[in-house]
Amino acid sequence: MNKFISLTKIQVFDFFSKYTQHLNLNNRWLKKLAILIPVLLIIPAFNLALSIYKVFSSIGIPELTITYMYIGNVMMIFFACIPLIISNFFYSKDLMFIASLPLKEESIIFSKLASVYLYLLAIACLFFGTAVIAYGIIGGIQPLPLIIGIIALIMSPLIPMLLATLVIIPFMSIIAGGKRRNLMAIGGNILLLMLILLIQITLTRVEIDPEGFTNLMLQEDGLLKLIGRGFPPSIWLTKMIQGSFLYGGLFILLHIILLYALKLMSHFLYNRALMSFNQSDGGVISNNNIYYKSRSRGFQLIKRHILIIFSNPVFTLNTVLTMLVPILMFIIMSFTGQLNNEIFRSEAIAPYLIYLYAGIVTTPAIIGNLSATVITREGKTFWETRVLPITTAENIRYRVYSTLIISFIGSIILALAAAAYLPISLDMMGIGLLFCITATLLFSTIDIAINIERPILNWTSPTTAVKNNLNVMISLVVRLVIGGAFYILYGLMPNYSGHTILLIYSLISIVLFIAVYYVITRWYIDKFDSIIY
Amino acid sequence: MLVLKNVTKAYDKSKRAVDNISLEIKKGEIIGFIGPNGAGKTTTIKMITGILSPTEGSIIINGVDISKAPVKAKKNFTYVPDHPAIFDAIKGIDYLNFIADMYEVSLKDRRKKIERFTKAFQIYDALPKTINSYSHGMRQKLLLSGALLPNPNLFILDEPLVGLDPHSAKILKDLMREHCENGGTIFFSSHVLEVVENLCHRVAIINKGKLVACDKLETIKKNKNITLEEVFLEMTKNE
Ligand SMILES: Nc1ncnc2c1ncn2[C@@H]1O[C@H](COP(=O)(O)OP(=O)(O)O)[C@@H](O)[C@H]1O
Ligand SMILES: [Mg+2]
Repeated sequence: MNKFISLTKIQVFDFFSKYTQHLNLNNRWLKKLAILIPVLLIIPAFNLALSIYKVFSSIGIPELTITYMYIGNVMMIFFACIPLIISNFFYSKDLMFIASLPLKEESIIFSKLASVYLYLLAIACLFFGTAVIAYGIIGGIQPLPLIIGIIALIMSPLIPMLLATLVIIPFMSIIAGGKRRNLMAIGGNILLLMLILLIQITLTRVEIDPEGFTNLMLQEDGLLKLIGRGFPPSIWLTKMIQGSFLYGGLFILLHIILLYALKLMSHFLYNRALMSFNQSDGGVISNNNIYYKSRSRGFQLIKRHILIIFSNPVFTLNTVLTMLVPILMFIIMSFTGQLNNEIFRSEAIAPYLIYLYAGIVTTPAIIGNLSATVITREGKTFWETRVLPITTAENIRYRVYSTLIISFIGSIILALAAAAYLPISLDMMGIGLLFCITATLLFSTIDIAINIERPILNWTSPTTAVKNNLNVMISLVVRLVIGGAFYILYGLMPNYSGHTILLIYSLISIVLFIAVYYVITRWYIDKFDSIIY
Repeated sequence: MLVLKNVTKAYDKSKRAVDNISLEIKKGEIIGFIGPNGAGKTTTIKMITGILSPTEGSIIINGVDISKAPVKAKKNFTYVPDHPAIFDAIKGIDYLNFIADMYEVSLKDRRKKIERFTKAFQIYDALPKTINSYSHGMRQKLLLSGALLPNPNLFILDEPLVGLDPHSAKILKDLMREHCENGGTIFFSSHVLEVVENLCHRVAIINKGKLVACDKLETIKKNKNITLEEVFLEMTKNE
């Protein structure tokens, strides 16, 4: 057991150290920011929990807040944990070292899952946690539900995490020896996410015949069963919080069964999946073709940075998934019936359509933040471009170009998809794209400054490089601040049309971009040169 | 060809990893840079190559100060680090074409040289494979081939013989000699004293960041009948 604990400790430290690394290096602003970020994220989550609570308590069943938020939480954790498990198990650089230690197979599997679990728990606290607090505190503090709720919160990441592990690891063992296994890993996992979505959606959309529906609603817990039938454990959980030992037992039993299943399978998972994946030479591409071809330096450097993303499944999944968030959300919402074509054609929406369009098209720049990790992604190979006869300015510039190219490709896909679906005119499209271009330029220049400021080159798990570090958080805060400023500006401006306002925003973005660009070429060249790897 | 003037590096304020080193290396020379683990060899080499900037002092390569005109200075040398950590999702041949483009090697020249070096190191047949399938030694030989490709004025190597089999080590030594005979200059660090002994024109010994000797071998030995090993142990012993 002691071995297990120290192994887990090392892994968790490695996983989280990059988040706090450099924090106490003469920068108290960053320290404050690190505390501020979770607070900034809790506010909207708490608002959501509150409004759901209001709806359900108005019909006298406030505990449905728990049911509802729990289901949402499970979905979100599925999304978050799939890339994370792959990164931590299959593309982490420490496995070969750990495999040489005298440890039980199940210890290795569970210790790897421990850091995944902690990360997921943080997400769960944000969403499910706020719901538990809202339920346990509003309308008088109720100690028992609050305590049971917190226990449920601690358990909440387990079901999706264990289920995902039980599915992913055997899948990865099947593709382990394949030639194009990285491609398979990316494709397979996007498919898996789609599948989870689809199951969830079809379950919630099952049409119940009117008689059955009335019967259901006449029962004591009709509404609970209706909402929870997509995911029965959510019903058990709700009843557990209401004080039912029977359902509480069921809920806990399910967790024990899943944990035990993983323990039973750990031998298979370890030998067939983990070790075979890390030992086979899958991913080696060879075509016996030795060529000699001359290309410009810019082409070569941009190609390098783009390949760094697409040769690593974790980077690719992260990039593709964040850029396609609007499409995923759109698919989910239209399936669940929250969205349909009519809504967008209504009079009430019309004036805001242009903002919606501009927002969708700009998503890759807003949540993609590729530039904020363009140096970090290189990891230990960062020295390579440093010794080449190119100027530092070029070195920085081609990095930004590579992220701009990916970001704009994402934007173009979204622009076309959204234009096909939304009633958009050509001039709206033009202005939306103009805004997208200016905002993308601005954000990627700010992001590269963040990355130069905090390069973080010695990561072992690729998730740490692109997700689990403060740089990504800082770049999101920058967007929140600029977005907030635009929102305030919107309130201050007279009744201009959407076209005019977006033009003004684009103009502001361009001016800011020029200012930031000037700062970078002035001060950040030296900073880049003094990065110690 | 390479001049170090009072070069100092302090990673943190308390300790100097490299302490006030001055050196001058002439065209056509092979210089061996030796010293115990942690003496500051890698740090010195990183400063010469522009990966690190010195805390104090200046580095001049072929008459160009690397901190003032980095690109011009960098055109004069290539570098092989002590660890072959390179971006490995590309094929060996992609890597060599990449390097050739960076140093503007003509198509005719690159074909000739790539074939020559990779065949000598016996990695030619592996070139169409992605680098992640290469062994440690193969990666190192790929890096060496890449670094020889632009025919640099100055060839800088950090522990080049660690990890090479005797056959490859022999080839590398021959290539180093040949490079020198054609007017090239070589600066390399090493632990393997025999290699330094029979390859180098001059030897620089560094200990705890300080240069303790830099001269012809015979002069360092003071014409006494002792080996370089004995000199090395004497000069770098812990007081
Ligand atoms: N990135 C770094 N940060 C702080 N100290 C370092 C770093 N790299 C090396 N050092 C220190 O500098 C000294 C010299 O190291 P190095 O140049 O690698 O020695 P050598 O190559 O001769 O073995 C050592 O004491 C080492 O601990
Ligand atoms: Mg060294």
